[in-house]
Amino acid sequence: MVKFNLPDNSKLTKGDYFKSDIGSKNIKKFQIYRWSPEDERNPRMDTYEVDMNSCGPMVLDAVMKIKNEIDSSLTFRRSCREGICGSCAMNIDGTNTLACTKAINDVKGDIKIYPLPHMPVIKDLITNLKSLYTQLKSIKPWLHSKKTQATDVENIQSKEERSKLDGLYECILCACCSTSCPSYWWNSDKYLGPAVLLQSYRWLQDSRDEERKERLKELDDTFKVYRCHTIMNCTQACPKGLNPAEAIAGIKRMISQQS
Amino acid sequence: MSDSAKTTWKVNQFTSIILVPFISYLIFKIIELSKLPYDEIISELSSAWSIFYILIFTILGLFHMRQGVNEIMEDYVHSQNFKKVFKFSISIFVFGILTFVCLSLLLILMV
Repeated sequence: MVKFNLPDNSKLTKGDYFKSDIGSKNIKKFQIYRWSPEDERNPRMDTYEVDMNSCGPMVLDAVMKIKNEIDSSLTFRRSCREGICGSCAMNIDGTNTLACTKAINDVKGDIKIYPLPHMPVIKDLITNLKSLYTQLKSIKPWLHSKKTQATDVENIQSKEERSKLDGLYECILCACCSTSCPSYWWNSDKYLGPAVLLQSYRWLQDSRDEERKERLKELDDTFKVYRCHTIMNCTQACPKGLNPAEAIAGIKRMISQQS
Repeated sequence: MSDSAKTTWKVNQFTSIILVPFISYLIFKIIELSKLPYDEIISELSSAWSIFYILIFTILGLFHMRQGVNEIMEDYVHSQNFKKVFKFSISIFVFGILTFVCLSLLLILMV
């Protein structure tokens, strides 16, 4: 059943204020969600003053500067810092996005940073994505071939067939889309969510895959696909500019066309 | 379960498309009827076409509404018992509205 109130130990409180002692006039304030399982404290919003004259242009640059120079206890994931790995996905200024591709100048006023919404928080900005990866595994995201053909023969795909994968293969599984979807918030245990369904559609569209029917049969379920109500938050949130909502519509169309 | 998911989605799409011309006609008709005197409105509503239109529109609309609300129940109500109670209440509500419309049509015909 939907809960309208947060439990008492989940209510957000005001945290510590880290004032800059550099004396710079080019200061930006970052309000960052903090929670640790190691103490009994409620989640809090710590505020950090960051000197923009000595900081890179992206939000990730600022978050790394905070960790390196102001508060080493701040915890977050990051790796490639160029929008390829999807590790630094977080909620910045009310939108799920990648901290490495979000410019600080795009946000007016203080920058508020939260972990991806409606996911269990492990610590600070790190969420537990285990359920998403389990769902991804359930759709078998690899090429299925029944042929016993020799492995040294190329499995040829025409240019037209290959072009069907454009807008699908680019997904980096950052989970920005799934965690922005209200349907996924309420039914994340049964609804696969936009990220996994986009991956599923990528394999359904692959001309070389030979288990399309089986894949569609697996998806034809009240919860796995049909909890999508075309809210379009996924498409709006995707930092790679992909369209998971269109992919889900494609899956529904394929299921309905199947006899 | 899987058959019902696909069928429910297809029926929902179908009824939503079918209801578009019905609602457009309803708006047009309401504007037209609002300019007529009471006696002419009654005679207009008691025509065979009006009775047919109102009945089909009510049945389609209620069916679409019931299915839509049931979808919302699936989304937000996770307790199976609560879900059953809510779905039963919706069915009662739909049946009540349909009975009310049928009785109203009968009354119009009797005037």
